Amino acid sequence: MTVAAQSFSSRPIAAVARGVALPLVLLLVWQAWASTLPANTRAPSPAQVARAFETLAIGGGLVGATLQSLGRVMLGFLIALVLGVSLGVLMGSSRRVSRNLDPIVEGFRPIAPMAILPIAILWFGAGTPAALSIVAYAAFFPLLLNTIHGVSRVDRKLLQAARTMGLPLHARILRVVLPAALPSIMLGARLAMGVAWTAIIAAELAVGAKSGGGSSGGLGQMMFVFYAYSIDLNNIVVCMIVVGVVALLIDRLFRVAERRLMPWRI
Amino acid sequence: MNGAVNRPKLRLQGVTKAFVAPRTGHRTLALADVSLDIDQGEFVCIVGPSGCGKSTILNIVAGLDAPTAGIVEKDGAPIAGPGPDRGVMFQDYALYPWQTVQGNIGFGLNYGAPGKSMSQAERDARVAEFVKLVSLTGSESKYPHQLSGGMRQRVALARLLANGPDILLLDEPLGALDAQTRIILQAELLRIWGETAPREQRKTTVFITHDIEEAVFLADRVVVMSSHPGRVRDILTIDLPRPRDESIRADPRFGHFADEIWRLIRDQALQAIA
Repeated sequence: MTVAAQSFSSRPIAAVARGVALPLVLLLVWQAWASTLPANTRAPSPAQVARAFETLAIGGGLVGATLQSLGRVMLGFLIALVLGVSLGVLMGSSRRVSRNLDPIVEGFRPIAPMAILPIAILWFGAGTPAALSIVAYAAFFPLLLNTIHGVSRVDRKLLQAARTMGLPLHARILRVVLPAALPSIMLGARLAMGVAWTAIIAAELAVGAKSGGGSSGGLGQMMFVFYAYSIDLNNIVVCMIVVGVVALLIDRLFRVAERRLMPWRI
Repeated sequence: MNGAVNRPKLRLQGVTKAFVAPRTGHRTLALADVSLDIDQGEFVCIVGPSGCGKSTILNIVAGLDAPTAGIVEKDGAPIAGPGPDRGVMFQDYALYPWQTVQGNIGFGLNYGAPGKSMSQAERDARVAEFVKLVSLTGSESKYPHQLSGGMRQRVALARLLANGPDILLLDEPLGALDAQTRIILQAELLRIWGETAPREQRKTTVFITHDIEEAVFLADRVVVMSSHPGRVRDILTIDLPRPRDESIRADPRFGHFADEIWRLIRDQALQAIA
């Protein structure tokens, strides 16, 4: 019996089944509860959310809004990646640079991405640049701090060995420091992608509010419109689910990338 | 003319190295007035109790540390910093965990002679040649963490030799291995070093060890150091015939040299554990 149970649980289908079972039960409970409510209720139900998803996905602008948000996240993340990793390498390898910049970094870190929104809107207007700057700001800190951590812990012997083999400074950074710090940088990138995706929704919600649901676009703005103009909870839940699913997919992609980029760590 | 012929490959004269602790300002003398000439093709072992500055000498010759006072010269020119003409094999091998066996052996080929001027195909061929030399054929694509200690040691040795340095600096390269593997690899090291080649074709080698018999087995000369501060206590010429194999360990002169070295460091070794 035990043997049979073990071999069953090791099958991927079984693992998927177990992962799906509880959400399915919750959905059923939710649907059962919703069917007890009066017909004119605003409360969302699974069946209505599914219908709303169909409407929004086919010609309702859901795909476009998701792609727009995703595009902003990617671009903002890339900006943060370049800035965070290069500054992180500098701060992680030089104690003097780190001593001088640390107070500035630590001073900004507690300021939440949303707290720079007013300035971002004033400077960049209620469009993509404002959203981008908030995403880049949010993603910058996890990348910077994890790069510093990884770079400062590079085995000194590996750098000395590179010097005895005649590698100039730029080659030591590219071929020793960055690969040695890559596990930390990848961890920072995953965290950064998570906060970037959170920040873009919040930023678009807020920018959407500022622009009166007009020009900013993206999933967050879509949610704001449903909230402010049609009070349609089913549509809002659709957006929430899309946010969650996209975040999950991005995280899975990162795990695959980690395995590809760091085959020596398996 | 004659001066150039007699000029040592490596010259250390009055080398002193003091370390200052960054917080307390406490000054430790690691090396005091070390003078040592090493000839082309010579295999020199440095033995001594811990704290005698063996590794500091190696780092200074490698150019990774600068002496506080004294002269360090290679071929009559002062050593100013690290360079691919002096290859180092570190105690824990310093292999790059993200590089395969091949990647590690070829790591320095883009930077130092002789690899710099090679085409990629020539570099690949050189890597293959050294993989074969250290008998790692079949493990080219493995990562360091997939290798045994002895195999990692061979990768480090192959990397050292593939870079074609003029001088080999080895810091307790066999220290992490078990006794049996050590004995096998000592003989292999001499074979790879080129024991059968004429002296002028051999690589000048400085080998740090705390193992007295290892030093006698490998060296042309053994430098015995004393500690606190590190000084040269004595230098013994090991005139055992080359090529050497296991049978040399049974030679009465082998035991005599080992006893002599042990006599020189015994007092300090006993002090260290007392």
